[in-house]
Amino acid sequence: MSTGPVVHDPYTLPVDDNVNPYAFSVDLKGQWFLQKGKMIAYYGQISFHGIGHGALDGLIRSNFHSPLHAADWVVAEGQGKMILADRAFDVNSFDLEDGNLTIRSGNLLAFQPGLSLKQSIIPGFLTLIGTGKFVAASNGAVHFVEPPVRVDPQALVGWADCPSPCHHYDHGYMRGVLGGLRALTGVGGTSGEEHQFEFVGAGQVLLQSSEVLMPEQATGAVPHEAGVPGGGTGTPGAPQGVPRLPGQLGDLQRRFGL
Amino acid sequence: MLAVDMAGDAVKAKNGSMVAYDGQMSFKKMSGGGEGLRGMVTRRLTGESMEVMEVRGQGTCYFADRASEINLVRLNGEKLYVEASNLLATEATLRTGTTFTGLRGASQGNGLFTTTVEGAGQAAITSDGPAVVLRVSPGMPLQVDPGAYVAHTGNLQQHFQTGIGWRTVIGESGGESFQIRFEGDGLVYVQPSERNTIGGQV
Repeated sequence: MSTGPVVHDPYTLPVDDNVNPYAFSVDLKGQWFLQKGKMIAYYGQISFHGIGHGALDGLIRSNFHSPLHAADWVVAEGQGKMILADRAFDVNSFDLEDGNLTIRSGNLLAFQPGLSLKQSIIPGFLTLIGTGKFVAASNGAVHFVEPPVRVDPQALVGWADCPSPCHHYDHGYMRGVLGGLRALTGVGGTSGEEHQFEFVGAGQVLLQSSEVLMPEQATGAVPHEAGVPGGGTGTPGAPQGVPRLPGQLGDLQRRFGL
Repeated sequence: MLAVDMAGDAVKAKNGSMVAYDGQMSFKKMSGGGEGLRGMVTRRLTGESMEVMEVRGQGTCYFADRASEINLVRLNGEKLYVEASNLLATEATLRTGTTFTGLRGASQGNGLFTTTVEGAGQAAITSDGPAVVLRVSPGMPLQVDPGAYVAHTGNLQQHFQTGIGWRTVIGESGGESFQIRFEGDGLVYVQPSERNTIGGQV
């Protein structure tokens, strides 16, 4: 490298765009929601408020609908340029226009108040509805694919405008006791790719180019009600919270017909 | 990875950071980072330890450290403040030393002291992801998360700023309670990633 590094100041920092593939500059005029700890530097007058009671009540009432994730999010308020980054992962911004997008909760870094955040019916995912910009991190560049598509669970970042996915299991995976054993233990040759998420319909699916996941913070649980996915107690079986075996085909007892 | 072309001159580099070379090279461990007895004692006392070797020879030498990003900083007589763990290599003409950082160091979990590099020449610093260089000028202060701070140059005053109030105590904190505020004239290097810091979860 013969030339020196690019030096940024508040005037040369991009407006709501990437500084480099790993850092994103927000031109803050008002409010943004962001995940805790993703701000690395800022110019200007910006204050950070936790999501709770206070002056921002109205904003939160209209734009934040996930008590489960409230502890992870803050509201940045003020004037200035703010730089966001996440563990040197790739950072990208996306625009939603009167749309909806569901994203893995750990991958979402920040969003404009034009969007409202809801907890997805699928545990561990968040849904953004409305119009505005949001910033998401991924391990490696993000790729857009159109359904119908089956994707590896670890590579899935999110999806937009299409119906929520279903699980797909390869046939051999389900065939009797032997298939189940093979899937659970890996003995007898499994490719590790017997389980996918299947998307159908019209929309876009966002994939990352590696299978490294963001650590998810367990901050709560959905209400224990019958019919709420992830809520447990609705169906007989092992209670929530018991570590599941790989494959997540259901409980062992059920597989073996006990 | 950093490639250094050498023609009989020398560079100082972090111990064990050489990954390959061609030509003729000799590696010599430098006790106390080549800062003499006084420097050695200071480093021992401050805990800002730095294992340095001197590489001298003809050819090209390659340095790398845990696949982290390497940023080159050219110094023309000014002072570079960098954590010893982030300093990969310097030209032999540059002097290194230690300095007191106060609370900022403590907030990063890096101790109360930092390393300075002074003189004219190039230094290589490592960061988790390519560093973003931000200018600070009078009337344009910059706030940096302690976990993302890597290094700075120039004439800067640092203030440790907290946003702790009664809400932090009840667990409704802003998550960005600690910042270093830089004022003055200079450049600050931040990495697009945060170290684990004491203040990180607050």
